[in-house]
Formats: sequence, C-alpha cells, structure tokens
Amino acid sequence: MFVCRRTFLIKCIKQRTVERIVVALCIPVLCMLMPLQVAGQNCNYKISGTVTDAQRHPVAGAVIRIETDSTKGDVTDTGGVFTIRDVCNGHNVLTCHADGFTTAVAHIDVSNDSRIEFALSADKNQLHEVVVNGVRMQDLHTVAHTELKGLQLLQSRGKSLGEALKQLPGLNAIQNGPTIAKPVIHGLHSNRVLILNNGIRQEGQQWGSEHAPEIDPFVANRVSVVKGAASVRYGADAIGGVVLLDPDPLPAKRGIGGDVYVIGQTNGQMGTTSATLQGKPGKQPDGLAWRVQGTLKRAGNFKTPDYYLKNTGLEEEDGSATVGYKKKGLEVSAYYSVFHTKNGIFEGSHAGNIADLRAALSRDKPATQSYFSYDIARSYQEIYHDLAKLSASYRFANEGKLEFTGARQKDLRDEYDISLPYTLSEELKRKPQVSFQLITHSGELVYTQPTRNRFSGNFGLAGNTQGNVFKGIRYLIPNFRTYTGGAFGIERYSLAKVTFELGARYDYRWQRVYQRDPVTLRTYNTTLTFSNATATGGIIYRPVEKLTLTGNVGTAWRAPSVNELYIHGVHFSDATYQDGDSSLKSERAINSGITAAWKGKRLRGEIDVYYNHIGNYIYETPQAQPVTLLSGTFPAFKFTQDNVGIRGLDASVQYDLLKHVTLQSRVTLVRGYNYTAKDWLIYMPADRYENGVTFNLHELGFMREPYVSVENVTVLTQTRVPPGLDFAPPPKGYSLLNASTGFSAQAGRHKLQFDITAANTTNTRYRDYLDKFRYYANNIGINFIVKCKYSF
Amino acid sequence: MKLNRILIAATLVAATALLWTSCKKEEQNVAPPDPENEVITTVRIVATNNADITDTWTATWKDLTPSDGNPDTTNATLKLKKDAVYTVSVLFLDETKTPAGDITAEVSERSNYHLICYEPSAGLNLTVVRTDKDNNSPALELGLKSKFTTGAVGTGRLNVSLHHQPSGKNGTDCSIGSTDADVNFAVQIE
Repeated sequence: MFVCRRTFLIKCIKQRTVERIVVALCIPVLCMLMPLQVAGQNCNYKISGTVTDAQRHPVAGAVIRIETDSTKGDVTDTGGVFTIRDVCNGHNVLTCHADGFTTAVAHIDVSNDSRIEFALSADKNQLHEVVVNGVRMQDLHTVAHTELKGLQLLQSRGKSLGEALKQLPGLNAIQNGPTIAKPVIHGLHSNRVLILNNGIRQEGQQWGSEHAPEIDPFVANRVSVVKGAASVRYGADAIGGVVLLDPDPLPAKRGIGGDVYVIGQTNGQMGTTSATLQGKPGKQPDGLAWRVQGTLKRAGNFKTPDYYLKNTGLEEEDGSATVGYKKKGLEVSAYYSVFHTKNGIFEGSHAGNIADLRAALSRDKPATQSYFSYDIARSYQEIYHDLAKLSASYRFANEGKLEFTGARQKDLRDEYDISLPYTLSEELKRKPQVSFQLITHSGELVYTQPTRNRFSGNFGLAGNTQGNVFKGIRYLIPNFRTYTGGAFGIERYSLAKVTFELGARYDYRWQRVYQRDPVTLRTYNTTLTFSNATATGGIIYRPVEKLTLTGNVGTAWRAPSVNELYIHGVHFSDATYQDGDSSLKSERAINSGITAAWKGKRLRGEIDVYYNHIGNYIYETPQAQPVTLLSGTFPAFKFTQDNVGIRGLDASVQYDLLKHVTLQSRVTLVRGYNYTAKDWLIYMPADRYENGVTFNLHELGFMREPYVSVENVTVLTQTRVPPGLDFAPPPKGYSLLNASTGFSAQAGRHKLQFDITAANTTNTRYRDYLDKFRYYANNIGINFIVKCKYSF
Repeated sequence: MKLNRILIAATLVAATALLWTSCKKEEQNVAPPDPENEVITTVRIVATNNADITDTWTATWKDLTPSDGNPDTTNATLKLKKDAVYTVSVLFLDETKTPAGDITAEVSERSNYHLICYEPSAGLNLTVVRTDKDNNSPALELGLKSKFTTGAVGTGRLNVSLHHQPSGKNGTDCSIGSTDADVNFAVQIE
C-alpha cells in the first residue's frame, strides 16, 4: 500500500515507523477486548453523498460507480443525492459521471459509513479538473450524534444557535426570553456543553445561563451534535455533549458563487440577512480559494399573545473571511470572524432583591405596558467575539494526515444594569457595570492514521491558555490565567458488521486566580491545578443492512468554573446571593448510551437511551439563613458538589404513510436525580413530544420539492423538581401548533429556496420551564417567518 | 516542493506568532474599585420635631462592606415622642470614602426615576406621608422628605426602601422597578 516516490522516501519510512508503533501499541489492547477474530472483507458499509456542479447546484442523473467492484453504484436523484450500499472496507475508487461534466474520481478508505461530495466541472476540455470533498465523520464514531440537515437546517436559519438546535431529539434550550438561548444536550448546558466553531472550542463566559454562544450560525453549513461524554476527543467540559459548527469546504472549481438569505418574521419585526461569496481564481484544482460571509440581524420588542415585552430587541452584525491554499497533499487556510451583538434585557425581569422578585411573580403580566420599538434601552448586554484561526494539514503518500490548528479568540462581554451607577462622573455613567474580557490561545496537532489492516484512528496533542480580565464596576468574578494541555488517542478496528472503538486522553490544567483584598486593597493570587484521565469505548454493530446498533461508554470531566470557585455576592439575574467554594474538585462523568437506528424504505428512525453518572456535580444549594444587605434580603446559595445521575431517551421516527405523505415524531425525555441529596435535579427539561405530517411532491409547475408540513409540539408540566429550591412552581405544560410550506425553484445556475412558517398558530399563552423569563412574562405569541435563500 | 516548504515554514511562524503575541498578562493587574463609583453604605434618617426644632433624632443603618451581609445596626434605632409630628429627611451615603459620598443628591437629580417608600410594621402607631415631589408632569411623589405622625407609645419597625423606577413610576406603587436600598429601622415611640 505504500507507494514511495523518491522525494517521499524519507517521509514514508518515518511514516511506516509511526504506523508500526501505533499498530504495535493498539493490537494487544484490542485483542484483549476481542478474542474472536473474524476474517474476510466486511461489505456492509454505505457511501452516500451529493453531486453538485460548480455553483453547488445538485446534479441529477449522475452515475456513481465503484470501479473496484463494478456491480455497485447508484444514480443521483433530483436533489443530487446518491447512496451506495454493501461497500467493502478498505480502499475504494469511485467514479462520478454525468453528461456535460468531466468524470470525477474519488479515492476513499472505507472503515465506516462515509459521505462524499462531488463537485463536477462543466468544462469537458479541462480533463484533470476533478474535485472531491470528503466530508469528515465525527471523530468519535460510537457516541450518539445527530445533525441539522436539509429542510431542518433551512428552517433553523435566522434563529439563534440554541433555538435552532431545539428541534433535534435530545436537545432543549435554556432561555432568557426570545433572544437569549443556549443549547441543552441531555439536560446539561453552559459549561457542560462544548461548542466547536469551525473546529475551535468556543470560549466566552459560558458559565452564565444568560450568556448565549457568541456565534453566527450562518458561518456553518453543517450543524451536528455529539450527544454524550466526549472528553477523549474534545477535552474538558464535554460532559453533556458537543455542538459542532462546520463551514463547507472552500470551492474547488474556478469561478465565483455564493448565496444570500433574506429572512423576515412578524414577531419582533425581526429581519435577518446573510450573504456568502466565494471563489477560486485558478483553473487548477490546487491553488488559492476564498470566501467572505456576513450577517445582519435586527429585532424589536417581541410580543406575547397579550402584551409586548419591553426592551427585548437585538442588533447583530457578524462577518467572516477565509482564504485557503492547496497544493498536492498540503492545505493551508486562514480564517477570521467577528461577531457583535447588542441584546436588550426584558424590562420586567429586573429584581433588585427578593421582594422585587416576589412582586414580579405575583403579577400575571409585567407592571409596565409596552409597545413595539426597535430601541434598546438599559439594561442590555453587548458582546464582541473575534476569532482568528490558522490551519495547515499535510496528507502523506500513505494517506495518513497531519493537521495543525492554531487559534486566538477574544471575547468581550459588557453588561449594563437597568440603573446607572451612582456617581458624579459622566464617564463612569457610560461604562458597563460588568465587563469581562477573555482571550484564549489554542493549538492542536492531530495525526489521522490511514486505514490499514482494518485499523483507523486519530492521535493528538492539544493545549490552550486563557487570560480573563474583569473590569466591572461591581465585583463578580476574579481575573485568572489558565494553561491546559492534553494528549489523546482513538483507535478503531472494523470487522464484518462490527466496529470497535477505543480511546484515552489525559489533560492537565493550571489556573492562577488574581484577586484584590477588599480591605487592604492588596493583590494576591491562588493557584489550582486539575488533572484528569478520560477514556471511551464503543461498538457499532450492523446485524442487517437497515439496522445499526451503537453502544458507548465514555468519560468526561470539567474543572470547576471561576464563578463556582470564587463568586461572592448578589447575582442580579435571579436576585440571589451566591457564594463560591474554592475547594471544589473536578466534575467527572461516566456516560453510557445505546443507539438503535433503522433505515428502511418507508420507516426510518433512531432511539437513544443513555445514563450519565456525574460525580462531584456542582450546583447551588440554598442556605438556611438569607443574607441581609443594604439593598434588601436575598436568599443565599452556596456552590456544592454531589453525585447525580441523568438518564433519558431520545427518539425520532419518520414513516412514509403514502407516496407523498410522511409522518414524523420526535420525543425527548430526561430524568435527573441527585443521589446524595436524594432528590430531583432542578432545571431538567420537561418531557417534549413533537408529531407532524408532511405532504411533499416531486415537482409542481415551476416548483421543485414543494411541501406542506403541520406539527404539534407538546411539552408536559415538569413535576420532578426539588421542593423549596425554585421561586415559583414549574409552569403548566403546553401544546403548540406550527405549520410550514415551501419549495425550491431553479433557473440555470440560479436556485431559489422559499419557506414560510407559522409558529404558535393558535397564539397560545404559555411559559416554558427552562425559560428564566417564565417568572415574569409569557412566551411569545403567533409568529410568521418567511425565508428566502438564493444561490448562484 | 520549495513552495510547500516555504508555506509550511510561514504557517508555523504565523501560528507561533498568533499563539504567543498579546499575552500581556493583563489579568495580573486587578482593577481597583473605581473611586468615582459610589456604593450606598449608609441610610440615615433625620427626624425633627415640629413642636421643638431642637428635638432631632438621627438613626443610621450602615454596612461598610456592602457585599458581605454584616451590617452595623447599633445606631439603627429611631426614638420618637408620642403624639408628635416630625419633619423627616432621608440620606443615602457612601461612607467608604472620606468625606462620605452623597448619593442623596444623585437621587434628587434623577428624582423622576426614584421613589422612597416607608412601611411601618403592623401595630406601630406611626404614619408616614411623603412631602416632596419629582419633576414629572404632573409631579409625582419622591420621598426624600416626609412627615412622620406618631400616636400612642409602642415599639416596632420601619422599613425604608429606595426604588429605581425607570418606567412606570406613579408615585405610590413601590413594587415597580428594582430596589437599590431596603433596610429596617427599630422604632421606639415613647
């Protein structure tokens, strides 16, 4: 398998040595696990993907053949989609032929179900201009995962990341009103969920439930979620799971293309527009390519069925640029993105102390009436997030790949309270009461070994350093510096019908916190270190072609965050007095999950069942004595650690009832229990059921793939809550009716996608348990959303 | 190959620069409290007997470390004569500074967004009426100045609170907005 040209000879020898070491290390481990050796080829894999032209429009009728086994192949449908089943593992050569295009050739090492995207060149004279973009699979194959795709992805456009992911089974959102939403995976959120933006760990002040991810979801054309402990690949914090946002690969064909989204919605009179332009100047498949992208968003006061929510508008401006260079095995790219948002905080949600909160709770609607306005007054949050990323990868002659990624991100979060600070200084009055600046530098080096002798895997080193500077008028969290380093290895072994996966990682974190003594005003520091080993092991088993069973046991860890360690004082967003504990230890999770996926002709579905045991789970426990401050009485909470367990079930089913009628259902059930306190966990998502029916046609006049869809979302009342911990009982369950319709149309290289959705069509009054604003107001009412996507 | 090597070298240099520049250790300089910022540490009530202007009583509720919950209430007792009428001023001070910062002036300056509320405990023979107004049109009650009328002998508590009401102020409703100060004075009517 090693083709060594002279120039690569030295590299190849080195490569072989690395290969041998890897194999020598891993075989004994895997052999212990698998006394059974099954010989012969495994021909149970599936290769699916899409065929597009240079403008990324689907190519119908393209013939995809496996050259190494001419009996297998498929023809793309009108969506450009193909699926080839019964593909054997090992090296496969695929050809993609369509009339009017140059034949494309793809080499792929199959060890799992794979995806390939063919971008065809229209010019028959440019013979070698053939481009194949293999889409990366999740690095942990045996951990449950899900993805926003197709129509779901289009319908999520314009929503915040948290809102967009809510439609996936197993996911919920923790919200502070209509504009601030954070993803919840299997009941966990904030610093128990990791977000990878373009391969980089998103680092902001993610500990706060009102601190939404500082990401423009339009940068990504692939939004996927790993559900379960995934620290082995992604490091600390991946206790609940990981959200991955990946852009498309840069264009490989000469020319300029792009797309424009225009989205408008009635509630909040929100408008969003996002545009992407990309191109490639050179004729060769190698060479330079670029992309620029930008998003603008504006919303005013949102409206519940009965009243407006005062000061809930938002403004957002984001942009990104990528430039890449490719030459033979080498790929280099640079990426820069800026994100800025200004978010109004609903005026009715301010509580100076517990008496204010009780007064707000006793009202059935906010004390002050409002009207529609785009103005954003105090209080508001203003966030800037800049990310610079450099990556370089080299594919060796043996198909092994070494990839380096380095990034710097700067997160600046300013929060302006509803009241101006008491001061005579005009300058100080303009300053935010709370200001955090977090700068993170990170680097990762990953080697992906080529698939050989049924083995495949990744090995890597990762490190980062963070500096946090707090500049607020009122103290909230201290300054700190952290250094984190880790090393990991994941190895897979694939047999007929079965794949085994095993991985391990070690991480070390050093953290020094800088504080000022409030009396002596002297600066002092405290140093903490954390180290953790994590492991993962899993199996994929395909007893029959349509059924895939996946099982995984994985561990994850998280160091206590700076607020849990050192916060001391009033937390304004919920009128509580919080006390950190600097002796907190790392949280450690052991997550086990089983997934069964069925992909039949008419019935498709997936069920995940999981149990996540979290040792040293950090949460706030109420203290017997409230704290009396000058500004009133506050319930006191102290951060503490207990052993808890979260179990649950996610399921999604699609059934083609008739030729043009599909029924779909999704279920998300979560149960969280504290074994130490022998009580339920607070803020676990209530049971959620979504049932819908979609009518779709292949073509109707000029419309392609027109559809009409109706869906009911039912959320039950959360009854499993610890008594006496919450300020108000969980709100009643609710049932919403949503409807949508849309189509796509194509004229030459121009494509238009259109969708109109009516959300909460019955204008139902409801409050959601995971929305912190449920204490103060109803959720928003009826909302019509129109989305247009134009691609060229 | 030459180009490859140059590119690899350039990337490595750029990456190293990216990783290690701007590590200015800003975090080691912990920002001291802003001297211009005023924190309410003290609520003071000055009551003057209308029948005898030399008869004044000052009660002070203070907490010099306002985030710790250890108030000093040794002087937070208000002693008033029975069946009397008092003219009362309330002062909000920042006593972490010398001289003390006067937050009362700022409340007065932004009087349209503030309301001071007085709530005697049940059974205490004390009635409080706000006597000053803000600059709203029509003018609404403010409460920096007030009239205390006492009845029979007794003891109880008086809750004094400062509310920030950027919208919805009506001059009487104390449940609107957010609370900046909320303290209890012991009251003895003798």
